[in-house]
Amino acid sequence: MSRAFLTGNHAAGYALVAAGEANRGARGCCGGVYPITPQTEIIEYLSAARFSRGAIVPVESEHSAMAVCMGASLNGGRSFTASSANGLLYMVENVFAAGYYRLPIVTVVSNRTIGPPWNLWVDQGDSLALRDAPCLQFYCESHQDLVDTILVAFRVGEDARILLPALVAQDGFLLSHTQMVLDLPEQELVDRYLPPLDLAHRLNQAHPRTYGGMTWPRDTEKQREEIQDAMDLVPTVLEEALNEFASVFGRRPDGAFSAELTTDADTVLVANSTMVRTAREVVKSRRAAGERVGLVKAKLFRPFLRDQFEKAIGAARRVAVLDRNHSPGSGGIFWTEIATSLRTRSDVLLQDYVVGLGGIDVTPAVIEGILDDVQRRDGSVAPLFIPEAAL
Amino acid sequence: MIEIVIHGRGGRGGVTLAKLVAGAYFLRGNYVQAFGVYGAERAGAPVQAFVRVDVEEITTHNPIAAPDHVVIIDPSLIAAERISGMRTSGVVVLNTEAEPEAFADVFPGRMIATVDANGIAVANRLGTQALPIVNTTILGAIVKIVGLQFSDAEAALENANFLGPNLEAARTAFELVRVQQLDGPILPSRPNVPVPALGFFDHAAGSPPTTRTGAWASHFPRGRELTPVCSDRCPAGNDVRGFLQHVIRRDYTAALATILKTSPFPGTCGRVCPAPCMSACNRKLLDEAVNIRDVERAVADNGVWPMQSAPGCRERVAVVGSGPAGLTAAYHLARGGHRVVVFEADAEAGGVLRRGIPAYRLPRHVLDREVEHILGSGVEIETSHPVDSVELERLGTEFAAVLVATGLNEPRGLDVGNSRKSAVVQAIEFLDSTCRHRIDLAGSTIVVVGGGNTAMDAARTALRLGARNVRVVYRRTRAEMPAIAEEIDEALEEGIVIDELLAPVCLRPGDDGTTLECRRVVLGEPDETGRRRPMQVAGPQAVVSMRCDKLMLALGQSPDMSILPQRAEMEGCRVLTRFGEALMFGGGDFATQEGTVAAAIGSGRAVAARIMAALANGTAEQEPDQQLAGPDVMSLGRFPLSAQHRCLLTPAAERRRSFIEVRRGLASKGSDAVVSEEAARCLSCGACNECETCVVFCPEGVLAADGPEPYSFDYDYCKGCGLCASQCPRGAIVMGPCSEVVSR
Repeated sequence: MSRAFLTGNHAAGYALVAAGEANRGARGCCGGVYPITPQTEIIEYLSAARFSRGAIVPVESEHSAMAVCMGASLNGGRSFTASSANGLLYMVENVFAAGYYRLPIVTVVSNRTIGPPWNLWVDQGDSLALRDAPCLQFYCESHQDLVDTILVAFRVGEDARILLPALVAQDGFLLSHTQMVLDLPEQELVDRYLPPLDLAHRLNQAHPRTYGGMTWPRDTEKQREEIQDAMDLVPTVLEEALNEFASVFGRRPDGAFSAELTTDADTVLVANSTMVRTAREVVKSRRAAGERVGLVKAKLFRPFLRDQFEKAIGAARRVAVLDRNHSPGSGGIFWTEIATSLRTRSDVLLQDYVVGLGGIDVTPAVIEGILDDVQRRDGSVAPLFIPEAAL
Repeated sequence: MIEIVIHGRGGRGGVTLAKLVAGAYFLRGNYVQAFGVYGAERAGAPVQAFVRVDVEEITTHNPIAAPDHVVIIDPSLIAAERISGMRTSGVVVLNTEAEPEAFADVFPGRMIATVDANGIAVANRLGTQALPIVNTTILGAIVKIVGLQFSDAEAALENANFLGPNLEAARTAFELVRVQQLDGPILPSRPNVPVPALGFFDHAAGSPPTTRTGAWASHFPRGRELTPVCSDRCPAGNDVRGFLQHVIRRDYTAALATILKTSPFPGTCGRVCPAPCMSACNRKLLDEAVNIRDVERAVADNGVWPMQSAPGCRERVAVVGSGPAGLTAAYHLARGGHRVVVFEADAEAGGVLRRGIPAYRLPRHVLDREVEHILGSGVEIETSHPVDSVELERLGTEFAAVLVATGLNEPRGLDVGNSRKSAVVQAIEFLDSTCRHRIDLAGSTIVVVGGGNTAMDAARTALRLGARNVRVVYRRTRAEMPAIAEEIDEALEEGIVIDELLAPVCLRPGDDGTTLECRRVVLGEPDETGRRRPMQVAGPQAVVSMRCDKLMLALGQSPDMSILPQRAEMEGCRVLTRFGEALMFGGGDFATQEGTVAAAIGSGRAVAARIMAALANGTAEQEPDQQLAGPDVMSLGRFPLSAQHRCLLTPAAERRRSFIEVRRGLASKGSDAVVSEEAARCLSCGACNECETCVVFCPEGVLAADGPEPYSFDYDYCKGCGLCASQCPRGAIVMGPCSEVVSR
């Protein structure tokens, strides 16, 4: 392991390059790229990279960037790209297509608020807009988590039982543009962790095939069922991938949900991304003061593993969800998933808090206020907006 | 944990400074975090960057509310509110020329560190005077105040590939930073709660902050003036583009003054110059050259000639010969303050202009006006004063410098047998004699041998003196004739016959007159001048005979070197052999043998400069070798097509028997619209003529017409996009690295 001092974007770039390079013995790698703040440094990093076998293809739009990735992936190349906000929304059609083609493309998302109004700062509305895409979604809390999860995403997505693309999200600026210390996985270890991509359905001149042609309704339904089956296998494959990661790299990245101090907790905070790190400090200090509070880190959003979530909160009776996103007419997007996960738990008071929209700072004080609020509440109400100024 | 907040302005390197400070600690094995507040950076608004350092992993991602140290990298941001929330123990680092004590009122009770980072950065050429980039400089000061070694700064800079001047600037700041504990109680401050900028400005609350977008540029445009091809080719060195621009505004007097800076003969050149400027004119690639010669003529005819001036009182200079070279040199020497005396063998000044060029091409009143102006510039003349080598030596004792500009006066001969001497004359002598007494050639047949202007002049003069038939015999073809093309056209119009590819061999007297026998010629391989070598064809069929009462030889002339002592050597215009005390020079055709009036004028000006430099014990200033405004810098496709306005001609029938001027200029008297229209065809190659194309195309509105230059660029706001330079149709704007452009 080599210790480095990098921005989140450069760390992500490093991981993508290492993963691509690890496929040099097979069909190499390829990224179709188009820049957008706050992801641009990833594109810069990729564009400067020299691959043993592979290429970065600068194109005129995010839609084409994903199209390049699909072409490369369908040819057996390890493919990756990155985007943010409105750029990611422009890519959406092809993200769906990549999933339905069963192509294990990894897209790093530097989360950014969707405009208008024009706003550069973090908000998860962009990647969560792909909630219904056939695509895995991971939310990372740190530079280390980001680098490790990118490798895990390739490993899981490329598994013959899964064959799905993945989004790996980091908070725009809070991680993407913040330079911090992390361990960079060495190429040799990445080579060991990521076997050559062997895509069974890749283009093959010996066996000409047509992809994505017209099908009958029943065939389409079957395809959707197969994708659901693959999603259902993610917990198994992810577990294997994390175990393998631990044996190769000597550390184990977090899985779908990480329960921290929840065993005897009355109240549990659910958070993701950098908010987890702030919440963790608050929970620790409350514990020190004798309160029975716990924390669940939600990292895997797609598939949403309902059973694992229910297990993670333990016996808690009050659950507060921090959502740095907002689905108009519904509320926090993680909250709606959690609500369906707890549909049989009528004993739990589940309250959603919409925080940090448009890049508002989620300070320890904000989280303290949320804990106070959920603890004194008689019953849950519609999702509460908690702007910083309210506290 | 150590927490540092850096206050700067967007785009000036504050975040990089945070990364460098964090990098210094990282390389010592610490956990670090460096980040900025993004989004507002393009507004040039005040922004912050943050550094955290700890021995344990850092888990917070919130901005720093209670920093240990505060660094203010932009002097304009120094204010009490910047350290709001700051802990009491740390240091406030300021980029300022002032001493720490100067901030007693702003930051009482605080530990203050000051460093003139702007000055250090500029001294190390980091950024510009207007926009110094100070982050690497301030790193040196920060490293010092937090107790690290300079080697830590060095390592951080090296790790980030900041070397050379950055390292030197940091070292200077490390050494020069001053730290002082200020007296008094620390001011209470509200907790600092950073709020991200919202990306919009409420105009009701004031104006958006100023954005000096010039900081984004790597290259800036600047105006430039390239040498136009016309001036470059003008033997006299006239500022053609410059005088045409005055003519467009019908300011003939300003145009005349422009020409008179280089040539005292605009009326002459406007009539007899072969106009190499027109051959070179870029406009020829578009449609037709600008009719520069006829515009120059109009300038001489319409401009107000300047006032006379008294003779100069500096060194005494003698000029031998009052042809175009001698008079031009005298003119420039007199303008340079020297006392000049011209010695002319003839009774009137003008040399070849008066004796060699017929009046129908150069009317005498035009020449008289120009000679009068030259003499009025302080030049004295002694006419009927021949100078031989003895006299030249005498002049050498009397004058500080002597210029010999006696032109070409040794005509080349031709052996055509022992015929009557009177049947063969030199064309140049014939032309000279027509000026002195009346000659009647009525009914005779004249043959002129040669292809230059002297041949044309002799032939056409003979015609005007009554000759019945005039033929020009030339051994090459018309295309090779050195005479001005228009002169040949006009001669043909007047009825002169040109016999190509003939070489005169013998002049035979006969019963009914003299016959000239010629031999046919074919052209062989090119000779050293690049022209094909004529070769006589053998055999009786190749003989052509023609009647010839008088044969005129116009085969070129060479200088009469007998004026110089034997074995005198010349190097360029300088006579190397010293005799007498004077500095001795040669000029015009005497030295160069180029054979055109314009070349003689150019030589006269150049030799005058040499003489003045030599008298001042210096060397003549070389004119800088400037880039030419050739077709490569011009966007010719942007200009509309327009036909050349041509010179009016006296009808051929009218001019055959009189010395009335053939070429009448562009316009009849009193109607000069056509002249300025013709001048307006000038593309102003390589120089701004305020066409405003750049102003129209500039997307930033940074071009203004308010300075001494036609346009000024506001480099505070120019982003260096280069549209102005690419769109200028005449190559008058060029891009260069910002530091070079701004420091010019």
